[in-house]
Order: sequence, then structure tokens, then C-alpha cells
Amino acid sequence: MNDNDTSVDISALRNEQPRFTGIESGHRACLGCGEALAARLVTEAAGPDVIYANATGCLEVFTTAWPESAWRVGWMHSLFENAAAIAAGMEAALKRQGKATKVIALAGDGGTFDIGFQALSGMLERGHNVLYVCFDNEAYMNTGVQRSSSTPHAASTTTSPSGEARMGKRHLKKDIVSIVAAHHIPYAATSSVAYPSDIRKKVRRAMAIDGPTFLHIHSTCPLGWGHDGALSIEVARLAVQTGLFPVIELERGSVVSVMPIRRVRPVTDYLSIQNRFRHLFADDDQARVELEHLQALADHNIEVYGLRGEKADALDSEGANTVQRGGMQWA
Amino acid sequence: MGIKMTRGAFARPGTSLEYKTGSWRTQQPEYHHRSAPCHTACPAGEDAQQYLALVEEGRYQLAWENIVRANPLPAITGRVCHHPCESACNRGQYDESIAIHHVERFLGDRAIKEGWDYPVSTPPEQALVVAVVGSGPAGCSAAWHLVRQGYRVDLFEALPMAGGLLHSALPPYRLPRDIMQAELERLLHTGIGFLPGKRLGRDMSLDELQADYPAIFLAPGTQRSRSWDSGGATPSDLHVGLDLLKQWTSIGTIKHWSSVAVIGGGNTAIDLARVLKHAGVESVHVVTFQSLPQSGEQLPDRMPAIAREIDQALEEGVTIHEHRGVQRLVLRGEQVVGVELVHMKEVPDSQDGAKTVTFEGTESILDVDQVIPAIGQVVDPEGLGSLLNHGEFLAADNHGRIPGHPQVLTGGDARGDRGTVSEAIGDGRRAAAQIARMLQQQADPEAREDKPIVLEQLNLNYYEYAPRPEVPVLPVEQRSASAEVQGGLEQQQVHGEGQRCLSCGSCLACDNCWTLCPDMAVLKRSEAPAGEAPYVFDYDYCKGCGLCAHECPSGYITMQAEA
Repeated sequence: MNDNDTSVDISALRNEQPRFTGIESGHRACLGCGEALAARLVTEAAGPDVIYANATGCLEVFTTAWPESAWRVGWMHSLFENAAAIAAGMEAALKRQGKATKVIALAGDGGTFDIGFQALSGMLERGHNVLYVCFDNEAYMNTGVQRSSSTPHAASTTTSPSGEARMGKRHLKKDIVSIVAAHHIPYAATSSVAYPSDIRKKVRRAMAIDGPTFLHIHSTCPLGWGHDGALSIEVARLAVQTGLFPVIELERGSVVSVMPIRRVRPVTDYLSIQNRFRHLFADDDQARVELEHLQALADHNIEVYGLRGEKADALDSEGANTVQRGGMQWA
Repeated sequence: MGIKMTRGAFARPGTSLEYKTGSWRTQQPEYHHRSAPCHTACPAGEDAQQYLALVEEGRYQLAWENIVRANPLPAITGRVCHHPCESACNRGQYDESIAIHHVERFLGDRAIKEGWDYPVSTPPEQALVVAVVGSGPAGCSAAWHLVRQGYRVDLFEALPMAGGLLHSALPPYRLPRDIMQAELERLLHTGIGFLPGKRLGRDMSLDELQADYPAIFLAPGTQRSRSWDSGGATPSDLHVGLDLLKQWTSIGTIKHWSSVAVIGGGNTAIDLARVLKHAGVESVHVVTFQSLPQSGEQLPDRMPAIAREIDQALEEGVTIHEHRGVQRLVLRGEQVVGVELVHMKEVPDSQDGAKTVTFEGTESILDVDQVIPAIGQVVDPEGLGSLLNHGEFLAADNHGRIPGHPQVLTGGDARGDRGTVSEAIGDGRRAAAQIARMLQQQADPEAREDKPIVLEQLNLNYYEYAPRPEVPVLPVEQRSASAEVQGGLEQQQVHGEGQRCLSCGSCLACDNCWTLCPDMAVLKRSEAPAGEAPYVFDYDYCKGCGLCAHECPSGYITMQAEA
């Protein structure tokens, strides 16, 4: 028997949800889209007094299938490369008008790491009061999974296919948060869609700062990464728990806090459930080397950022998602 | 319009709602309550998951009411039950199982202390009256469940007080008498007509009962010891285990020997061995052809005694000889001076399933000055006539019905296939339900398979490791006849156990599905009917990705393929 209560007036209930809804249902994201979830969590934490500038990318496309829009807040899209510039302009105009409305720029890894990189750098250098959020799904997913400078080493994409010559992408993932933090901005942080409370905490923190802030959210892509949509959170969680995606906070260029990993998992736990890394599990010498290479990259992250948890902690990789009856853990 | 925009330049807020992404779906998430393993394992039918949830919310009285709707004697079973719920508890495979029996005991004790009323109203005067014979756990349970269903009950008891084997077989160090009496007394005041001093076969006959009552539940227990001899020899002063235990629990003394062999592997044998040890008998031997419990293994020939009690007996210095039988008594005149032991084991047999065999060449002599068989009890045939049909027990189906006697049901030890207080309580509950169906001329319920949810169906990422609380146990040197050996938990620890419960198969209201749905297809309501999730799926937008089901910590969401 399905315990779903059919006597409930669903559309009335939708209008009285005890959370701020910045993005509505009916958007066209794929099943289990990590970016759609991450974007909603950001809008929820940022609240209604916000205007968004959105770069070209999945988020822009799946939320605005003309003549509809999933957005319930002020939102603008111009081009792929200029989300930071548009946000900077909006912020300057609002400042001139004496309004306290916050501006948030939204972009994917392509619009941040590659195409919108100089606009982002300019916005940071000019000190605009903008929160720039990058939803990192590690390739150009909207156009068919082409590699970006965020694509991790050894991942197979349509433009870095695994084959005889090479095991997926030859190059390394760009360390964007260090580059951004090097602009000496007040706050730059990474987070993961697997830890909604961490995203919320960091959005609120950034919203309270008058100046450029940057939030980099690791967002799973079932289509591009090759995993079942049901596993989106599982995969994102393993990226954190293996050390491949460090969750850190930087102020004025220095690391001020990290999410400790209580039980460090081997990278194979993360890699083996994604088709983009499937070639690494072939009976092949080069594959074995690349697996060790990815493990070494995770070990390096753990060492550089001091990610290994010393003792149980309510904010570590195990404690940050512990459930409680009544749901308070996500607040 | 001052603003001139090109086509596609703007859209109204939230208009994507017009597009129903639910049409993409090939499978849909559903909320399904599934049975927790503690519930399916409980012989009395308790649902520990449910009352642990109430404990976590601090609603202790409601938690107790939840227990007594299945089992009216939680202060008693919280002490004496072998708690198969805890062996089944999924948390046991994660870190340590929930201390369910301690929570049960705490709630039972609290109810006595606070005088919480049993959740029942006195049956009306004109209600049908059902006869219950025997006021042990099975009889008390049947009487309670009949009253709950609106029947009046005449509860016949041969002795002056209620309780049956709780008095005779459970020593006070396991079940303090004040607790037992308080709980029984409170139960008997729920509208049950208690008739002490009425023995079947002496004060009334089965025929009279059948003429006077539309239905009869027989729970006479097993009052007669199985006859025992060894190679035709019976010692002149043979004492039988349960009789000695009865004598000790009612008079408080026991004959003093220096060395005793107790034969049997059940609770009576272990209890008696401990009583003898407490009374100062220097060496106490338990001889059983069955095996000692091994942690983590379910041996087919494991001793039926409760593992915890066996451990405590060993701590206290009782020697247990497993896989041994008594082949012969060593007599000097008519006086026992020893027993000849032999290796003895139950081996599988293609004809009888299993048979007990002895192994030649393994004989040895154990010097004892008394031998006490505790090899089991059978139903006292007095007053039961044709029902017993020359057998040792009353054979019945799972509802308690005795074939060929439509009016008469039975349960508890008298069935012969039970052996614990909790099973007897479960028998009473099932028989009461069957009597109600019979009197209302309803058909049997459909047999349904209730497979409990397993650990792999939970998402353990959302739980923290947390140890099980320790209870105080009386040091061996302080143990005596009456001091309770095992202590209980404090309220704070009980609350902690509520928090530790994984809530297998039931909604925790943790907000995971509501928080993690990328499509906002899970909606939350401020109030939900009791026992239901505070969430509903909006199938207009649910794309069927299955993320909510995968991330549900307690396995309350399942994906169903759509036609």
C-alpha cells in the first residue's frame, strides 16, 4: 500500500512550504540532477531579496524553456562568458539606487573555469559586492559532455575519450578556488551537494559579507558522469569522503577551515560507480597506474589541507549529515 | 508598454509549473511502512520501533501504551524475556543492538511508579463472558486482550494468587516479587474478573465451562514433571527441578547438599543450579546433551536456557557439562554417590529428523551426592479428559484452536511447543483475537508474509556510531536469593536508545526526501495523521529518479515500476 496521502490538496500545499522557493518544479533538468538541487539549495538559503545573473549552461537552459521560467526571483541571462560582468553591472546599478538587494552570479564550471574566467577575475579585482556560485559538474554537459578545465584527470568525455593512446583526460583539474582566493577576496569556499547544511551555512556566510565572495559547489551529473540518478548524493558524498573534492573555506587567500574526513574511503569507491572512469578498471597496466595516480591526488589533498579527522565531529564528513527525527539536521 | 522586448526575452515567475515533468516517469517513489526486524522477532507481538520513536520524543506514557497494546506485562518481560528483538535488531550489524528489553523494563517500571492507567475501558455489563483458565502469562494476556476487545472475562486460577509460573519458576533475583505483584495487580484491575482458588477438575469441570461460556481459553501450564529414571534406578529421595525451585521460591529454603548434578539444559535447570549455588552448595553441575550457546552462531542443538542466564551461572561458579548424558546412577545402598556420564549428542536422522545417541567408550564418573532432573514438565491431565488424548501437551494450531473442540483454545507452556513468557503472551493475544473472530463469526485473517526490512535497505551514511549503554550488574560476591542481579537504565540512557534506533521501515521525519529532491516533488505538511510521514509526493513533477529512495535513511521509500 502506498502511504502517500491522496486527500491532500497538493497545489495549496505547494504554496505553503516552510522554505523559500527560488526555483519551481517543472524545470527540465535530467533525473537526479545534482546542479538543480544545488541551485535550489542556494536560492533557498539566499532568500527573496536577490537578483541573479546566470551564465549560459545547463542551469540556464533547463530553468527557462521559453515561454516558461522556473525562477521566482529576479534573474537574467546574457552570454556564456559574462555572468560576472553582468552581476558587477547590476551590483553597481543597485548601489547607485541605494538598494541593499544582493546580487548572485551563477555559472557552471565551463562558464567559470574557462569561458567566463577573465570576467570573474575582473569582478573580483574590482571588489564588487557579489556572491559568485560555481556549480561544478566537471564538463560541458549542456552541449554533450565536452571536457573543461575542471574535468578531473583520467575522466572520459566526448573530447577526452579513453582509448589506446590515453586514459581519458590527460590534464589535471584546475584548482579554481586557490586562483580565486589569490585575488585576496574576503571569502572563498567549496561545498558539495551531498551536504546541504554545509551549502546553506556557506551561502549565509557569503551573503553577510560586503564584497566579492565565491562558492564552488561540487554538483553531480548523472548523464555526464554515467551513474544512476538515484546515486547523485552517494557519488557526491564519496567525492568528499575520498578526499578527491576537499571541502574548505578560505579568507583573504588563507585556508581557515576544512570539513574533516572521519573515515577516508579509497578513491575506487568513488570511481567505480561512474562510467566516466570505467576504463580505469580494465585489466590494463596503464589503468592501474592511473588509479594509483588518482589515489595519490586524493592523498595529496588530504595532506595539503589536513583533511583527516582526528576524532568524531558533528561537522565532519560523517557528522554533517547525521539525521535526527524532525529534520533539524539540514537547517 | 514602455519596454519593447524581443520574443523570448522574458517569462513570468514560476511558470514552469505548467510543464508536468511527471510524464517522464517510468517508476515512482512510494512511502511504505515496512516491519522492523525487532517487531517481527517479538514473540509477544510488540513493535519496539514504534515505542522507541515515542521514547525519543519524550512521550513515555504513549510508549508504554504502545507496548501494552501487545503485551500487558512489560515490567516482567523486560526482565525475563530472552529478547529475540535485540538479536534481530539491524543496529546490531552496524555497531550494537538497541537495549530494547531495558527500555521495555524502564517503561513498565515507570507505569507502575506513576500509576498510568491501562488504555482500556471496562467492558459493558451485557458483554459476552469468556472463560480463561490459568493466570500465568498466557492466561493474563488472553484476559487482557479479550477485555480490550470488549468482552468480559472470568479468569480461573487454582492458586490464591495470579501469575502461574512467574511465581514458581522465576527466582526473585531475576524477577523481584514486588514488581511482579504490582504489575499483575494493576492488570487484574482493568476489568478482568479474577477467580482465585478455582482448579479445573476439582472446582469445575470442562463440561460445565463449555455449558456456561461461549468460549474457553485454557492456559494451565505444565504442572507435572516428566518422569525420570536412569537404567531403572531412581534415588530414594529424588527431587525434581521445578518442584525444588517452587519450594525455594515460596519457602525460601532449599535442602543442603555438598555436590549436585542438575540434569537438563533449560531455564529451570540453570535457575535451579544458580539457586543451589546461592544457597551454598559447593559444586553444582549442569549436565545437558545440548550445547552451550556460542556467540554469533545458531546451533541447532543449543541449550534452550537464556544465554545471559547461562553466562551469569558460569560467572557464579556453576559447571556446565555440554554434550553429556547420565548413563547410570552410582548408588551406595539407595544413596546416590555419583553419576556415570557419557558423551551424548543429537545427530540428524533420516527417519526421525534427529536422534540422541551416546558414544561408547566416553564414560566417566562424577561424584555428587544428589541428582536432580530438570528435563521438562508436561500438562497435568486432571480435568482435561479427552482434550489431552493421552498426550503430554495440548496440541493446537497457531491461533490456539484445538482440533475437534471448536469452543476451546489453548496457549502457553501447555502447548508443548512454547517455552518462554513472551511466547505465552503472544499465544494469549492470538487466541483472544481468534475468540473475537469466532464470536463475531468472522473468517480467519489472510496469512501474510511479513518480511522485515534488512540492513542493506537502510542508508547508514545518515547515522552516527553510538555505543549501547551498560547496565549495572551485581558483582558475583553480592548475589543472593533475592537481590536483583541486573539493574536498569536511567531515563537519559533510555532516551538515548530512542535516538539510537534506526527507525527501520518507518519515517523519521528527517526531511531528507524533502530537502534532496532536485525537482521539488516532495512537499512537506505541517501536520500529518499519526504514523504517517509529514511528506507527500507530487507526482505531477516527480521524474522518478529514485534519489529520495536511495537517500531515505530508514528504508521508508521504495521505487515501484509504473505500468
